[in-house]
Amino acid sequence: MGPSMLPTIDLNGNVIIVERASVWLQKVSRGDMVVLTSPEDPNKQVIKRIVGMEGESVTYLIKPGESDECQTIVVPKGRVWVQGDNIHDSRDSRVFGAIPYGLVHGKLFWRVWPASRFGSMCNV
Amino acid sequence: MSARSSLWNTAKKCVTIGLIGVTVKDRYVSIAAVRGGSMSPSLNPVTDEVSGSRVSTFDDYVLVEKFCLGRYRFSHGDVVIFTSPTNHKERHIKRIIGLPGDWVGISHIDDVMRVPEGHCWVEGDNLLSSLDSRSLGPIPLGLIRGRVTHVVWPPSRIGRVKREIRQPTVPSY
Repeated sequence: MGPSMLPTIDLNGNVIIVERASVWLQKVSRGDMVVLTSPEDPNKQVIKRIVGMEGESVTYLIKPGESDECQTIVVPKGRVWVQGDNIHDSRDSRVFGAIPYGLVHGKLFWRVWPASRFGSMCNV
Repeated sequence: MSARSSLWNTAKKCVTIGLIGVTVKDRYVSIAAVRGGSMSPSLNPVTDEVSGSRVSTFDDYVLVEKFCLGRYRFSHGDVVIFTSPTNHKERHIKRIIGLPGDWVGISHIDDVMRVPEGHCWVEGDNLLSSLDSRSLGPIPLGLIRGRVTHVVWPPSRIGRVKREIRQPTVPSY
């Protein structure tokens, strides 16, 4: 687990339950955190947040922290735009583009550990 | 009472067979139907490549092995089944022509491109009628769902699906 989802998921071991039914039933939407196979390395599974579903338009900072320049794109059919919560240190759709929905495998559902942050992962 | 217990026994057997079947299908092997003539003549051979009229009225059924998904290590010429990048409900069967790092030629714009890390370049055997990387672009390896190894139906066509090395369609100069 890297730093790309700070502060939602920190660097100390978190145990989170992932459910697959939502992906299969296509009930994922903008704002959900998902597990996906990285388009850069099929042996790696990464966690990112869905920022745009197909057909939606996404605006993002090209160089966060350095300039305020933005770019807007429309997510193509059959794909989703994912970003890490820590936009300063995250390889996501801003680097590899919108990913095909077939790479999404599960939706983060419930955090079990650490106990101080026990609870649902929806609306987090 | 014996009717109820035999119904319960049948139900238990169905669930057990179902669980074993789903596990085998997900992790080891499964059978898939081949639709369309984009892989002619290896799969679903056609008599006329342009009109697509088929030799046989029945579709080929193939054996798909899933052991290759452990490390995602494929070779040039492998026939694979993958989820479409534009519609996750569709699956396509095509041959791998380029692996990460290979240079492939795109003839209709007279250009070459390098297959990015984690992706592959796929083309159908029947280039006149095949929706493949020439229009969809390189396919992420994570979308591959298995490798086609044998044709299992119709009985006259049972046999291995051979790995054929083919150069990618290069510019004509």
